[in-house]
Amino acid sequence: MVEVLEETTGKDGRKVLKVAKENLLALLSDLKDNGFTHLSLITGIDRKSKLEVVYHLHNLTKNEYVVVKTETLDERVPSATGLFKSADWDEREQYDLMGIVFEGHPNLKRLFLPDSWVGHPLRKNYDLSKVQYINMDENGDDYATFDPGDGW
Amino acid sequence: MIQEEQKNEHREWTELNMGPQHPSTHGVLRLKVKLDGETVKEVEPIIGYLHRNAEKICELDYYCDSLIYFDRMDYVAAMNMEVGYLEAAEKLLNIPPPERAQWIRVIMAELGRIAAHLVWAGAFGLDLGMLSPFFYCFVQREKILRIFTEICGSRQETNYMSIGGVYQDINENIIYMIEEFTKEFPDKLEEIFNAFVKNDIFMSRNKGIGILEPDVAIQYAVTGPMLRASGIEYDVRKAEPYLVYDKLNFDIPVSYKKDNLARFLVRFEEMRQSVRIVKQAIKKIPDGPYFNPKAKKSLMIRLRGEGEVYARTESPKGEFGVYLVGDGGVKPYRVRVRSPSLRNLSVIRHLGKDVLIADLIAISGTIDLVFGEVDR
Repeated sequence: MVEVLEETTGKDGRKVLKVAKENLLALLSDLKDNGFTHLSLITGIDRKSKLEVVYHLHNLTKNEYVVVKTETLDERVPSATGLFKSADWDEREQYDLMGIVFEGHPNLKRLFLPDSWVGHPLRKNYDLSKVQYINMDENGDDYATFDPGDGW
Repeated sequence: MIQEEQKNEHREWTELNMGPQHPSTHGVLRLKVKLDGETVKEVEPIIGYLHRNAEKICELDYYCDSLIYFDRMDYVAAMNMEVGYLEAAEKLLNIPPPERAQWIRVIMAELGRIAAHLVWAGAFGLDLGMLSPFFYCFVQREKILRIFTEICGSRQETNYMSIGGVYQDINENIIYMIEEFTKEFPDKLEEIFNAFVKNDIFMSRNKGIGILEPDVAIQYAVTGPMLRASGIEYDVRKAEPYLVYDKLNFDIPVSYKKDNLARFLVRFEEMRQSVRIVKQAIKKIPDGPYFNPKAKKSLMIRLRGEGEVYARTESPKGEFGVYLVGDGGVKPYRVRVRSPSLRNLSVIRHLGKDVLIADLIAISGTIDLVFGEVDR
């Protein structure tokens, strides 16, 4: 049995389980065995001093919903790709925009932005005033640069 | 046999780049395809060409302002996106819409669903080289857009609903227009349907192609018509009823064939069910206020929300979820959008293995991609 730090009910009536980072994968696989096979959403929340990662899981046959929350101080969280295939792109998106590093992800690249983009836009300390320009190299891949270049 | 397999391993695969400006990719999808002859061995979708980071923009704006960015997510079904956002925002801000507004929203959402499916059907026909059904679909869609124009003055990016209700009441003229539409549309829909299914080429290009097993669909978090075409009867409107869907009579179309044709049939049946919902709703719509006075326009930017709310709705593409985190300020602390198209697209890596390249186009057509929503 996995140790759950706190069990509450959210404002929208969904069950929220708070769990330590080390026990996250054990809890997720426990839930998966109990029918929560649909990993709907992974959300990263920047709480300034720490990062919060929220998993929305769904049991399609029993029509139940559960929210799993965990926190991290060093931007690192174990990856759930081994359990759910949908975690692949969700984790890549959260790495891209929020800068959460999912340890054990087979292909942790940026999903939307080009690989050379500097910073993670959804962080609260991201500087919006620094404009980055996207250009295309000869292979057809995009790259980001601070230099506007000729085309702009 | 073994020798042959070994040979195949050493054969060189051709790398082909489809998109992002290819007409069959519905916008700006780029597919990196590895080909062995004409067989696709590996497909890797590359997205992000329409990325605007709507989540960040919503964080910088007041609760009421974010609505227009949701219009521009799934731009062919703006009404459904508005319903999705407001479900979350109204729960967070504790401003429930009055009864009449809820009925109006249901009617608009279902009309939006029909319009979105018609766009999909037309574009899907184009993918397979059928030109005329495209025009049949768009003529019918134009009738819905005229209703939207009458209601709010805008065709696509409606921005009709607002926190606490809707922007304007509907009058007798609009009710008459909707009634006329629901009367004549079912026949036209059958015409469009026949234009597709009586075409032998269309049938043979879709039957048995792109089979999506239900357990794979769940693994990839696929929702909406794609999930229902894989034989899982799941619809948010029934599973977690929002607005007044629990007071309406409608069925959830399910197909157990799991292929392209199943997804086509499910979407057409959904349109028939939507007409059924609109017909009921237009009769049951009650009198009363269409706007919650707690959300007057002058008070709109002073609304403060605290706590966390996740609300999900059934958009034409699937389960559309909005996760709002408020810290007691006038602007949301974090907005997270669960876009169904993104998850539905991710399954193409599985579906696009060992199919012909022409079938890959048909498969990506049945996913129903709208890139405003995939990239956000």
